[in-house]
Amino acid sequence: MTYLPENADFETDPDILLPVEGLAASRRSFLRLAGFGVAAGVLAGCSRAPERRVVTYLEAPDGIVAGRGYRMATTCAGCTASCGVLARCRDGRPIKLEGLPEHPISGGGLCAVGQAEILSLYDGERFDGPRHGGREASWKDADSAISFALSKARKVRLLTETVTSPSTRAVIAGFCDGLADARHTSYDPLSAAAILDAHEATHGRRLLPHYEFHEADVIASFDADFLGTWISPVEYARGYGMGRRPDDRKSMSRHWQFEARMSLTGGRADERLRLAPWEITPALMGLCDMLASKAGRSTPVTGQRTGAPRIDDLRRLADELWEARGRALVVCGSNDTATQTLVNLANHLLGSYGSTIDIARPSLQKRGSDRALAALKRELDAGEVDVLIVAGVNPVYDRGFAGGVGESIAKAKLIVSITGLKNETSSVAHWTCPEPHALETWDDAEPRAGLLSLRQPTVPPLRSARTLRASLSKWSGGGANDRALVEAHWKQNVHPRAGDGVPFRRFFREALHDGFKAASPPPSGAAPFRMEGVQVPETAAAPAAGSMVVVLYPKVSMLDGRHAHNPWLQELADPVSRLAWESYAVLSPTVAGKLGVEKGDVVRLDPEGDAPALELPVHVQPGQHDDVVAVALGYGRDGTDRFADIGPDWWEGEATVAVGGRVGENAAPWLKTVGELTRTDTTVVKISATSVHRELASFQDYHSLEVPKHLAPHHGEVRDAVRTVELEAFRRDPNHAMYGGHHHPTGDLWPDDHVPEGNRWGMVVDLTACTGCSGCVVACQAENNIPVVGRDEVRRHREMSWMRIDRYDLGDGDDVQVSHQPMMCQHCDNAPCESVCPVLATMQSSDGLNQQVYNRCVGTRYCANTCPYKVRRFNWFEYQRHDQLQNLVLNPDVTTRSRGVMEKCSMCVQRIQEARIDARRRGVEVKDGDIKLACQDSCPTQAITFGDLNDPESEVSKKARSARAYRVLEETHVEPAVRYLAQVRNRS
Amino acid sequence: MLAPNTRVFVACSVILGGVVLFANSDGRLPGDHTGYAPDQPIAYSHRVHAGELGIDCEYCHYGAETSPVAGIPPASVCMNCHNTVTTSGDATLAEKIRADAAGEAPRRLFSPQIRRLYDALGLDDDGKKKPGVEPTPIRWVRVHDLPDYVYFDHRPHVARMECQVCHGPVEAMERVRQVNSMSMGWCVDCHRLNAPDGAGVVMPGEGHPRLHHHVNTDCSVCHY
Repeated sequence: MTYLPENADFETDPDILLPVEGLAASRRSFLRLAGFGVAAGVLAGCSRAPERRVVTYLEAPDGIVAGRGYRMATTCAGCTASCGVLARCRDGRPIKLEGLPEHPISGGGLCAVGQAEILSLYDGERFDGPRHGGREASWKDADSAISFALSKARKVRLLTETVTSPSTRAVIAGFCDGLADARHTSYDPLSAAAILDAHEATHGRRLLPHYEFHEADVIASFDADFLGTWISPVEYARGYGMGRRPDDRKSMSRHWQFEARMSLTGGRADERLRLAPWEITPALMGLCDMLASKAGRSTPVTGQRTGAPRIDDLRRLADELWEARGRALVVCGSNDTATQTLVNLANHLLGSYGSTIDIARPSLQKRGSDRALAALKRELDAGEVDVLIVAGVNPVYDRGFAGGVGESIAKAKLIVSITGLKNETSSVAHWTCPEPHALETWDDAEPRAGLLSLRQPTVPPLRSARTLRASLSKWSGGGANDRALVEAHWKQNVHPRAGDGVPFRRFFREALHDGFKAASPPPSGAAPFRMEGVQVPETAAAPAAGSMVVVLYPKVSMLDGRHAHNPWLQELADPVSRLAWESYAVLSPTVAGKLGVEKGDVVRLDPEGDAPALELPVHVQPGQHDDVVAVALGYGRDGTDRFADIGPDWWEGEATVAVGGRVGENAAPWLKTVGELTRTDTTVVKISATSVHRELASFQDYHSLEVPKHLAPHHGEVRDAVRTVELEAFRRDPNHAMYGGHHHPTGDLWPDDHVPEGNRWGMVVDLTACTGCSGCVVACQAENNIPVVGRDEVRRHREMSWMRIDRYDLGDGDDVQVSHQPMMCQHCDNAPCESVCPVLATMQSSDGLNQQVYNRCVGTRYCANTCPYKVRRFNWFEYQRHDQLQNLVLNPDVTTRSRGVMEKCSMCVQRIQEARIDARRRGVEVKDGDIKLACQDSCPTQAITFGDLNDPESEVSKKARSARAYRVLEETHVEPAVRYLAQVRNRS
Repeated sequence: MLAPNTRVFVACSVILGGVVLFANSDGRLPGDHTGYAPDQPIAYSHRVHAGELGIDCEYCHYGAETSPVAGIPPASVCMNCHNTVTTSGDATLAEKIRADAAGEAPRRLFSPQIRRLYDALGLDDDGKKKPGVEPTPIRWVRVHDLPDYVYFDHRPHVARMECQVCHGPVEAMERVRQVNSMSMGWCVDCHRLNAPDGAGVVMPGEGHPRLHHHVNTDCSVCHY
């Protein structure tokens, strides 16, 4: 039952079992072999199973005890948000990442990408040592060749994404100073450059403000997906969640969302209004005009409300914002500087600066400049750049559009790519110097001015690699020891600001233990708001009839494509579309109807200009604007054909991706540069249907808890899996959400003889807090060794995830509200699965858990058929891990299941046991809060609570008694141990 | 359907097989490895160390109290003593008498087993690293092994029981031998006896009547 790599280095691992060779047999040879079964039985009786060796350390590292878990504080590098994480390690390697509860950015939450980062560490395709052309080379050769080129070069350019590490920034500065003409340019593939540029215009300093969502009573978002992918989603989701606690009478913020496509954030909004990309600017002009007249101020947009779309809604919004001034917040995802200056104007008029927006301690998570990138492109085009070092970004892929820097990269005379994995840019580079994974190196990050976060190695380097900082330091004649470089920087620059007289050694040790240090920030230099900085944007016209505008958006899992090599993220169902392994064209139901296409039908999108046309399958999304087609970025990455043989190999199976093919299609060539800024929402396409149909890997259209229409009782469907209530009604009567629940006065099929007496584990999921971000889904996958099954198996509804986020749409057309419901085994007290299992492989434990015993299961699948929640998963195959090295990520505390057994959420019983054993060892009782489940641990908004329902004082009991608490499919009398708290929306 | 001949053959083999199985294995079932006592790469004697010298089990198996696995000690733990002790007391004494009589300094003698330890660590007779010799970890043979779907945790057990309850009189064994079947029935017997409503059992040694402290027989105590 263990999958262990044959070639991995277990010499240092004292207690790991060596793999036992399996018996590969066809059906026919099985029958033949069965004849010898008796003889084999005899042999097994008197001889011993294959000899297993235990290879011990010669000298055990300090503090490492075989099999004992420990945690290390570090910082996530999944994106530039830099959340604090705790790496849970075992036997010298990390096996799971969790949020660092004390970290000021994430506060204990961790998103799907952060959770999946651990798998990228064990990616077997990471470079091992530098490469020259396509061939392996030595570091010595690389260093001498590059140093020589640098010494001869006239112009040296360094291109990175936002560098959050202050020590790396210091080394970059030193590197540039040491050369005649060297400059550092940074850009963000998901650009927020306009926000920074706008602040330069209005506040005199190019900075990204720090948004304090928890302070805001009214939030107006114009196409900013701040709960999903925008800048720092975990941090924002946490703050947003803090402002939306309906049980507390005072606080429930109002959330307005104006957007063209249905985003994760839009689905949560109290008021969601469809607004095409070209309407955002006039809408903001109108809003500013209204706010200015309320404030009695004259602005450059005075009198502009006439052209504004949705003028009545804007008027209502302006009233609400004005009412809540000082506690209001306007955010906008547009990458147009002039539009962003309007946002600044609105926030200024509302008094948001200093309350819901902090520019004294700005955010440093995005600092890239699209204008600097344009300048670099001009230099490259002129053939002036002698050495171009590209680190951490992949411009050939994500800026490979007409007018983008990607197509000019090859004009540099020497290209050095610093990347851990092969990518489109390293393919054109002369030298590739591999970068280590963030979990195996020393590093630091400053996500917000004055907040310094540390990274430390959690495993010895798995590959021969060097950070950008070490390489640059080496090429400028310094040392390449990352720890020394980071420590030196902290000693010089951080310790004096945050030391408080503590000696440096102790200070640094404390920082390593805590994961971060707060330091006094340098003054941000932002000036008071200047009205002259406000620019009146040009308003774009709607596309001509017959054309549509493309909105290119990042998905929760793929972001800009940097995680395309991570199979967990590839197989994560998008929380809005519930599709995986695919990029697709999102259309509104009206447009799909007009085109005569349905979900999965392939359409051809032909953009204006030279950009290539794409053929993409359709996903029909209620709430989408009728003039807009949305396509996700981050797909079509080179090298994703590595997933060709992921999933089981059987005669009907289809490859996830063809050999030499790609997962999804690359939409980055459709990006546009407008006024030197990269825009995602200005490309115009012509759309036409094709005759091709492609079945999509969808997680949504089956395992439905609703009765199909043709089977529904004559009075219609009455069971509500998701219950929502409006705040007004909830305030009037807290039990409002419970009305309409369906209670049959039937007797109980099961005798009442199995009430747990000691602990009774239960869970409460707050649907008001849940944003659907799917961090918990990946956390569960990591914790419980859930395999990746590939596109074809997902299509056959055989995905293995123990936890899924069901999506429920309410309403249609303009006003669509999306509810997300995390669904996992409900651990019913009267579990139907237990009644039907012929071998007692699933049964009730004495503490109220529904146990699944893999070694008893014979795979009848009766339980899955009878489960009303459809949460049981069957191992149709032996899901071999695709990449042998990635088996190191397996949680040693959880059995890896083999073919033919059923599995499902165990409520992380291994964590319950661990907490019990630990409490017993210390001679104390398990306290409420000692046990945290993997999903609960990762949740940025603390939507999931777990604990003992028999303890009336436990958090979970208190929540279970809440007026909002209900159980899904309560009328079936299965008595689930999981309760949901109805979703409250603050609609007017 | 099988041919009649085959059926007879299968029936005979089952009966015969059953007889042979029980005759050859002292009535043990497949998977029961009671009595397994493999040769180890170094013939380490628990009788000498744990019995004669009375070294506490947890001196070497220090993981038992804080980790699910007791662990096989790293070679460095052996070297805590064996950097000075390199052969038996008798041999050392004999060498001292010989050296005194001959009027020379006693030589450092090595028992062949301790020589293997030094070889594994890549050390010369004086305990210095041999240049150019790579240390090679010792590949011990696992004696007590449970299937991979069973999670046994030493911590709660060693907190209340002697190691010998499960592992037998290791201090008397020259070479470690499995004395209990380590089967599920064997585990469950003890869990039942010590459950809150169980009869309780007196353990050898100190004796812990009624250990019940969350002892139960839920599947998920061991299988997850």
